[in-house]
Amino acid sequence: MTQAASAPLEAQREVDAPPRVESATPVEGEVMRARAVPGAPTVGVAAFLDGVQRSQVRAYLNGVPAVHGAVAAAVRIRSGRRLSAWTAPIRSHALYLPKPVVDAAVFAALVERCAVVDTLADVDPAQPLPRHPGDLTARALTAVQRERERAEQALAITWAREQREPLLIDGGIAGTEEVARSPFVVGVVKSHRTLYVAGDAMDAVLGLREGERSTAVALASPRRTPVATWYLRLRDAGARGPFFGLVRVEVALETGDTITARADLVSRWLLAERAPVALPDARWDVMVYGIRECEQYLTSILQ
Amino acid sequence: MTDTPILGRVVATERKPNTPHEFHFWTALDAPVGIGTIVRVETERPIAGVLPTVYGVVTEGFGYTDLQTPLHDVLGADGVPGASAIAPTERTEIRLYTAAVLRHVPEEPLQPVPMGTVHLATEQDVQLALRMDSYLQPGSERGIPVGMYRAGGTQAAVHLDADFLLGPEAAHLSISGVSGLATKTSAVEWLLGSIFAHFPQDKGGVAAVCFNVKGPDLCFLDQPASSLSDDERAMYEALQVPAEPFKDVQYFAPWTAKGFQLATLRSHEALQENVQPLTWGLRETLQYAEVLLNKDDVDAKADALIDFIKERVLDQAFSDALFDAPVEVRSFADLEKWFSTLLRAMESRNADVWRTHHVATIRKVRNRLTNISTRCRGLVTDDGSVSDLPFGQFRDRAVYVVDVANLEEDAQDLVFARVVSQLREHLEKRQLGVSQVVVFVDELNKYAPADGPDTYVRKMLLDIAERGRYLGLVLFGAQQFRSQVHRRVVGNSGTALFGRMDPDELATPGYQTLAPATKARLATLEKGQLMVRHPHFGQPIFVRFPRPAVLTGREGVERFPQAEELSLDAAITKALRRLDPSITLSWVQDSIALAGDSEDDILRARNRTIQTKPDDVKAFFRAQLKKRVATEPTRRGPAPLRAGPPLDDPYGG
Repeated sequence: MTQAASAPLEAQREVDAPPRVESATPVEGEVMRARAVPGAPTVGVAAFLDGVQRSQVRAYLNGVPAVHGAVAAAVRIRSGRRLSAWTAPIRSHALYLPKPVVDAAVFAALVERCAVVDTLADVDPAQPLPRHPGDLTARALTAVQRERERAEQALAITWAREQREPLLIDGGIAGTEEVARSPFVVGVVKSHRTLYVAGDAMDAVLGLREGERSTAVALASPRRTPVATWYLRLRDAGARGPFFGLVRVEVALETGDTITARADLVSRWLLAERAPVALPDARWDVMVYGIRECEQYLTSILQ
Repeated sequence: MTDTPILGRVVATERKPNTPHEFHFWTALDAPVGIGTIVRVETERPIAGVLPTVYGVVTEGFGYTDLQTPLHDVLGADGVPGASAIAPTERTEIRLYTAAVLRHVPEEPLQPVPMGTVHLATEQDVQLALRMDSYLQPGSERGIPVGMYRAGGTQAAVHLDADFLLGPEAAHLSISGVSGLATKTSAVEWLLGSIFAHFPQDKGGVAAVCFNVKGPDLCFLDQPASSLSDDERAMYEALQVPAEPFKDVQYFAPWTAKGFQLATLRSHEALQENVQPLTWGLRETLQYAEVLLNKDDVDAKADALIDFIKERVLDQAFSDALFDAPVEVRSFADLEKWFSTLLRAMESRNADVWRTHHVATIRKVRNRLTNISTRCRGLVTDDGSVSDLPFGQFRDRAVYVVDVANLEEDAQDLVFARVVSQLREHLEKRQLGVSQVVVFVDELNKYAPADGPDTYVRKMLLDIAERGRYLGLVLFGAQQFRSQVHRRVVGNSGTALFGRMDPDELATPGYQTLAPATKARLATLEKGQLMVRHPHFGQPIFVRFPRPAVLTGREGVERFPQAEELSLDAAITKALRRLDPSITLSWVQDSIALAGDSEDDILRARNRTIQTKPDDVKAFFRAQLKKRVATEPTRRGPAPLRAGPPLDDPYGG
């Protein structure tokens, strides 16, 4: 066994997918266009959900990376302008190992001592097993990420079942049907590797001005529950690039006037969350402060 | 361990680690914690089988948010300050405190403060934290209440250890603070009352000698305060000190330069019962000639002649070939006569030297010594009459106030030097009447300055500071600037009190050990608040004390206005009527008319009468008027019947 002391894998992660564009069908009107969000920003979000993960190669077992992964997720509920924990946060620690390529006795001994996740559990045993340490590390990282998503989804489902106030989730909501259909959940996506616009509609989205949103579209894929989504410019981009201050919002799918009213209302909620600024986070232009606070909370409890 | 709510949690980082003497903790934003709050740290990890408890006092506080730079807040509010107020979420904010360790329980092993929960100290915790448990135990109680500790709903009496305040373990008290808030005088008055109420009876008697160096500050210690608030009365009750003025106070003041009245602001007729003159003659003064004669005045030759006079001339029949007959020198007047006779005789014999003393030295010493009675007029008498503090008959729990506010600086020094020296001598022989005496000196920076000439008074104060505790001679010194008092005096003060301090003073090296927040609090302390340093307390503690239950100087002079300046015969009448109420102005006028124009003779007769306190005052007084009036026997005997004051007497009734 070789001891390893590496930086968090999340910091070393390479871009996982190339940028792409997908077309989507508008659910309010027929044309994708910029729409000024009517009315003043309104405080509507009651709570914020986020998750964090930290992975690190702790040792190499005959060249196989043993990755320690820690994940946590929490909902921070707002009361009197202050945020506090809603229920206990979810936390887990585990060793992420490819069981088929690790000595069985070693694997069994590790299972006795701590939680162990097999990172090759979904690989067809009939196929050649991956052995490249980089490949194995990437699989471990993916497994940790899934664990974090599971934790986030678990909290989101509980919220959707028990609460009747809006929860803002950092990321999309389409991964879980119960959450995706809940009227009390809003997802905010900050990155735009995939743009759900095509053709002339691209100009409308990238040209959004502060306080404007795009037409809502339906987002559907075989493995995800359909949701309604739209782009919203939180801050004036100026010369700082087309994605500055641009978020994509996901809510339960509705159509017609209903989705218009819903998109306007949720947009007003998000515009209200521009203050306080989430600085010093590098993503401050698209991150609401509640999510940053939640992330800091989780980071501190993972220490 | 008491079950009190958790107030905060101890935190330590590599950049801000905890040590055995300091730790950090955070609290909720609304936690009732401030600079000076005493806290208790509890941990769940036993050391050698014992769960340690740590007590600390908050010395510094920090508050910050997750902002990296203020600019981020400006950006977030678009440069509009009001915009931040409408943000739906408040930024995460922290209250982080630094506390100085007061005590570890158990004391060993002494380790860095562990992680644990932080609780507000209870009354019992305050006792333990300040190690007061050792001297408040039943059977060995020697606590002197100095004030109330108040924080976060906790109230606890804070006691000083009598053995460390009045000796013999440590002694002396230094109190510093800006002028004008009356904190220093009030604190000393309060503490004296507390000492008198709590000093253990089995340790002997205790008295106080207070020098009133300015205004009417200490002139009404036997008069009740005009009003005390309910809070102050509750404090008196909690600290078990009677809210009443001093019961036994004696005032001493020299005469004014004219000699008609005593030079004190306590001159109101209604308050004369316990006011006495303070006058000294040649013998008392010459013992401390060094105080009045500086090195330029007295060289070795002059010093030798002064010693000769003290040893061979004073108070004895002096014979010499130059003198026709034996001479007795008992007063400044006698001394002047002695010098005149000597110099005249030397001149007639054309002699330059007498008993190794050159005529120039003799003239110089004559000039300097006989000048003393002029410089200290009112205090030093030509005729040698003495009215002094009752050395040897000091009473337990009595206050002796020596009012020197109206004396010249030289004379103040003389009073100070002689009184303190007498106290010391009597305490050394165990003949003062009490075993401990507190000497309160205001403006200590004047008497024991950090720099300046090494005067007799300063040397004496240094001696008291360093050795007084073994004798029971305890110095309570007050000053505006502690840094301007000799460091051996303040260094030897076991206990130090601080009222509101001047920021410039707080910038001096003596305060470097205090955290900036503690200094800031010191610079803004309210009346009635003190910071206390005491040998048992690991760190300075803030306390509140009630206003003294005595009339303040300012109120005193309003309620008891100063007596008007009197004519000679009225002044004599007033003084003698205290001894014999039947004496009238007309009787005095008749009596002194026979004495001719000599005011000095009349005043001398009054002084001797006051000093002697004869049974037959009239006869004695007239006898003193140099037999210009018919004398009557002055022996003590059955007191004659004294008639009441005549109805037409302006000083009657």
